[in-house]
Amino acid sequence: MSFPRINLVVIGHKDHGKSTLIGRLLYDSKAIQKQKLDEIRAELKETGRKKFEFAYLLDSLEEERKGGLTIDIMQTPFKSKKYLYTIIDCPGHKEFIKKMLTGASQADAAVLVVSAKEGIQDQTRQHAFLAKTLGIQQVVVAVNKMDAVAYKENIYRNTCNRLEQILKNLGYTNVPMIPVSAIKGDNVYKKSEKMNWYIGATLIDTLDRSITPSKIPMNKPLRGVVQDAYQDENNQLIIACKIETGTLKPNESVIFNPSGKKGVLKKILAFGENKEYAQPRESVGLIVEGIDNIERGEVLSHTKTPPKIVKSFSAEIILLSDTQIQNGNEIIIRYGTAEKRCKIQKILSEIDPVNLTVSSEYPEILKEGSVGEAEFTALEPICIEKYSEFPELGRFIIKGKKGAAAAGIVLDVQA
Amino acid sequence: MENYLQELEKKSIALIREAKAQFKNLAVLWSMGKDSTATLWLCKKAFFGKIPFPVIHIDTSYQFPEMYQFRDKIAKEWGFNLLLAKNEDALKNDMSPKKGRLECCTKLKTEALKNLIKERKFDALILAIRRDEHGIRAKERYYSPRDENFRWDYKDQPAELWDLYVKPSEDFSHMRVHPILHWTELDVWQYVKQENLPVNSLYFAKNGKRYRSLGCMPCTVPVPSTASTIDEIIQEIKTSKTPERAGRAQDKEKAYMMQKLRSLGYM
Repeated sequence: MSFPRINLVVIGHKDHGKSTLIGRLLYDSKAIQKQKLDEIRAELKETGRKKFEFAYLLDSLEEERKGGLTIDIMQTPFKSKKYLYTIIDCPGHKEFIKKMLTGASQADAAVLVVSAKEGIQDQTRQHAFLAKTLGIQQVVVAVNKMDAVAYKENIYRNTCNRLEQILKNLGYTNVPMIPVSAIKGDNVYKKSEKMNWYIGATLIDTLDRSITPSKIPMNKPLRGVVQDAYQDENNQLIIACKIETGTLKPNESVIFNPSGKKGVLKKILAFGENKEYAQPRESVGLIVEGIDNIERGEVLSHTKTPPKIVKSFSAEIILLSDTQIQNGNEIIIRYGTAEKRCKIQKILSEIDPVNLTVSSEYPEILKEGSVGEAEFTALEPICIEKYSEFPELGRFIIKGKKGAAAAGIVLDVQA
Repeated sequence: MENYLQELEKKSIALIREAKAQFKNLAVLWSMGKDSTATLWLCKKAFFGKIPFPVIHIDTSYQFPEMYQFRDKIAKEWGFNLLLAKNEDALKNDMSPKKGRLECCTKLKTEALKNLIKERKFDALILAIRRDEHGIRAKERYYSPRDENFRWDYKDQPAELWDLYVKPSEDFSHMRVHPILHWTELDVWQYVKQENLPVNSLYFAKNGKRYRSLGCMPCTVPVPSTASTIDEIIQEIKTSKTPERAGRAQDKEKAYMMQKLRSLGYM
C-alpha cells in the first residue's frame, strides 16, 4: 500500500493542453470521484457550455471556470502501478510566474507539454529554463494535440528534434518524448491505436520507468539548521534542529556556525525517546555539552567538516512580482532558517528566459519577472553553500514585504 | 513506521516548529475530528510531548455530544491549554442554521474566531486542512496570510519556495499555517492507526451509517457505511467513489458557498 510519492509539475505554453492532460491523467487513473464528475456535467449544462472539458476537473474557482483557465496550482493525487503522483498544475499566463515557481520548487520532476499543432513557443522555453534553474533534474515531454495533426509521425519528429536541442542547451539529455492526445486519451494511460509508428511506452508508463523519488542525502557531510531553542524543566538548553544532510549520533563533536559554538552532543531528543541517531529531514532536539544559548539560523555540522563562513557569493536569481533590485541595494536573504543582511555587489547579467541568451551584461537594475546573475556581499557572517554541493543550503529567497520577493540559487561562494 | 508516513510527519513537524519560532503568539485549531486531532498529536511530537501554545475549539454549541465528551477527555489526558471561541451574542439571538447556513457559519465560526483572535492577539493559527479535501483547499499554501477582515486573497498569494516558509514583514493580520496540507484522507487514517490515536466514536458505523467528516449536528449527515473499525475505514476509503465531505452541507449548498466562506475567513 505504501506507494512512493512523486510530486510532478506540469509546465508548458498557455493553451498547449496542460490542464487537459492533467484532467486526463486524473480521469484515466480513476482519481476523480463520480460525484465530482456529475457536478461538473450538471454545471456545464447550466452554463451552456456543452462540451465536457478535462480542464474543468481542476478549476475549482468560479472565475476560473468562466475564463476556462487554470490560474493557480492545484494538487490532486493519483495512482499508477508504481507511484502515488501529486500533480502541480501550472498556469500558462506570463504574470503567474510566482505560482509556477511555487509549484516547480516543490516538484521531483516536470512534465513539459508542447502542442504538436502550435509547436515550441515562448513559455515552452521559459518554463523549461525556470524548471532547470530551480533544480528540477527529471523531465518528460508530452507532445500533445497529436489528434489535431492527424497523428502524423513527421510532425512529432520535428517537434522532438527542435525541443531536444533546447533541452540539451539547458543540460537535460535523453529526455523521453511521448506523442499524446490528452483530449482523446491517446498514449496517456492507454496505448494509442492511431500511432502505430510509435513503439515507445505511454506517458504514465514512461513516468513510472524514468522518474525516481528524491534521494535522502544520508551520505553527505552533516548539515542541520537551528529552528529554535527551548529550556527544559531543569533549565537545560534543547536546541531544536532540522537535519538537512548527513547523519548525527550522540557523543560526536559538533559545531554551530557562523557563531563557532561547539561541544559534544549528549542527547538526541524526540517525542518519548532518546534517539540513537538523526537523519535528514528530521526535526530533533539536541542537548550539547558546553552550549547554553544559541540563535535560530545557525548551521550545525561535525567539528571536522564545517561549512565555510562566506563573505561573498554569486547566484542566479529570479525576481518575482513587485520587485526589482539594483547595484548597491541592501537586502535580507533567507537560507535554511537564517535571515541575514547582504548587499547586491554587482549584477552580472540579465538572461532572456525565452531565448535563453544573455540579454544584457552588467545591467544596473533587474526588474520584476526577470532572471539574472548577481554577486552578493554578506554584511554579516553567513554559512550559505553552493547549490551543486548542498542544494538544501544553496537556495535562498530575498525577503520582501509580502514574503519571498526573489528566488536564488548559489553558483559559487568565497570565504 | 511506514516510510511514507514518516516523511509526511517530518515535513509537518518541521512546519509546526517553524511557526512556533517565527510567530509571537501562535495557537492551533481543534475540531475534535481526525485531522485536527492528528495535528494536535504532531504538535505534541514537535515539542517533546507538551503543546506550548493554546488549543482553540470553535464552539458553535451545535456540535455532537460525542464531540464535547471527546474534547474534555483528550484535553485532560494531553494536558494542553484549551480555549473556546464562542459567539455568545449570536447564540443569545438564537442564531441557527434555520437563519441560513452561510449566515450561521459566519456568525458562529468565523466571527467567534475573529473575536478570540482580536482578544488574545494571535498572529498565527495552525489549521488541519488538506489539499485533497475540497477543490478550493487545494489552492492553499503552507503559510497563508489573512488580512484583518480574515480575507484570503487566493488570486494573489505570496510565492512559497522550497521549504523556506517566510513570515512577511507586513500585509497580514494573522497567518494561517497548514502543516498537514500535503496529507490525504487515507494518510490520516493510516497515521491514526499507526500512532494509535484516539478517535471520536462518531466515525465508526452504527446501523449501517457513519460520519466521515464531522461538523455541527444540523448540517452534518452520516454516510452509508459498515466500517466499524479503523482497518475497515481504511479499506472503505481505498475503494470509495464519493468525496469525503459528502455529508457536509456547506460544501454543496449552491455553487460556490465553500469558496465564499473561505474567502470570508472560514476554515
